[in-house]
Amino acid sequence: MKLTRTKAFKTFAGPAWYENPINMQMLGICSALAVTVQLKTAFVMTLAMTFVVSMSNLIISLLRNVIPGNIRIIVELAVIASLVILADEFLRAYYFEISKLLSVFVGLIITNCIILGRAEGFALSNPPHLAFIDGLGNGVGYGSVLMSVALIRELFGSGSIFGYTVVPERLYAAGYEDMGLMLLAPAAFIIIGLMAWLQKYLVNSRK
Amino acid sequence: MSETIKSISFALGMCLVCGILLTAAATGLQPRQEKNRLSDRQKNVLYTVDLASRDKTYTPEQIRDIYEKNIDEIRVSAAGEIAEPAEDRAGQDGQVLTIYLYTKNGEIQNYIIPIESQGLWGKIYGYMALENDGSTVAGFTVYEHSETPGLGGEIEKQWFQENFEGKKIVDRTGGFVAVQIAKGDVDKRVPEEKEPHYVDGISGATLTGRYLSEGLEKTLARYEPVSLCFRKQRLSCRLQEPTDSGEK
Repeated sequence: MKLTRTKAFKTFAGPAWYENPINMQMLGICSALAVTVQLKTAFVMTLAMTFVVSMSNLIISLLRNVIPGNIRIIVELAVIASLVILADEFLRAYYFEISKLLSVFVGLIITNCIILGRAEGFALSNPPHLAFIDGLGNGVGYGSVLMSVALIRELFGSGSIFGYTVVPERLYAAGYEDMGLMLLAPAAFIIIGLMAWLQKYLVNSRK
Repeated sequence: MSETIKSISFALGMCLVCGILLTAAATGLQPRQEKNRLSDRQKNVLYTVDLASRDKTYTPEQIRDIYEKNIDEIRVSAAGEIAEPAEDRAGQDGQVLTIYLYTKNGEIQNYIIPIESQGLWGKIYGYMALENDGSTVAGFTVYEHSETPGLGGEIEKQWFQENFEGKKIVDRTGGFVAVQIAKGDVDKRVPEEKEPHYVDGISGATLTGRYLSEGLEKTLARYEPVSLCFRKQRLSCRLQEPTDSGEK
């Protein structure tokens, strides 16, 4: 069987591309606006988010047969919130500078609708390994959009990539200026809008 | 009925597991977090007197070295006298003031006071450095706050903090006025004779500005005896003593 035909691959590729949480489902937009001014913060946010969504999918899938139906949302939220706090504490201990830059947005992963959506929509009805892969796929799908937006914003807004200046001095001397708009939230709206348009076009033209 | 009991016991078990896990993580990581926080505070002290640049990154060891070489932390009583360490431990809150001295070539360049202010959503913590003339602000930083990112959260940004440099906490006749945050741009909103005592405000964060103005005024008023000491007669100021003996 070809790799691309396996169920695991489909579970991964679905959320990563065809059903991309941001571009195709328009979920998790709030954090995508907030943390994409720099690649560094977008990258850490991607890691934190991928960790939380895949682990919460795994744990909830493992528990799916014992969770009482009437309190399942509360249980899901308890799992997600605990994981987010773990991620936040870890960042504060080992990557203090970045955790200061991300400020409240790590904590706000709890309210990211992608995670609860996947827990409720996928993990509750699928075996653990698929749920975990689905979480990874969503993390990658979310993260790839985040990183692309951050790349554009940092390159044109501050003339750097991962904090290293890439726009040469000569260009500035010749009259080039960084785009102030890129540093503001509306720029992320515009970029995400254009990317959603592009991706929908690409996905639909394949069909 | 048994369904309900099952739900409740599951919820209780869940709470227990999550609680233990989070407590373990929080206590286990606390020493590291404390170290980070201390280093961050020291770095902010250095920012106010330009011993560290906001554009560069430093390791915690570098920060500690620069800090220990240049900054002395002393405590003074509310009247401006140097407090003995024993007095400090007596824990008379509000009676003992902490100040940080930046000494270069045996002379105090700046004194730095810790800022603790009310904010819109929580406390704002920072530092303000004053020149040794006792009236000019040399630098200002905020290292902890819970203001809204993008609005009140702008107080942690360089452009806002740099506005404070060179502002005066006394008016021309020598009376104490503190530094206020204007509602909007200083050159448009504030009469010219008051401009040295105002910094540009943040649009969309009027309340944060108001709270921080109050906090700054309160803190500066508490430290007024120290400032007065610097303003009046720098050389005979008792604050000089520990550093003098330290130099010899």
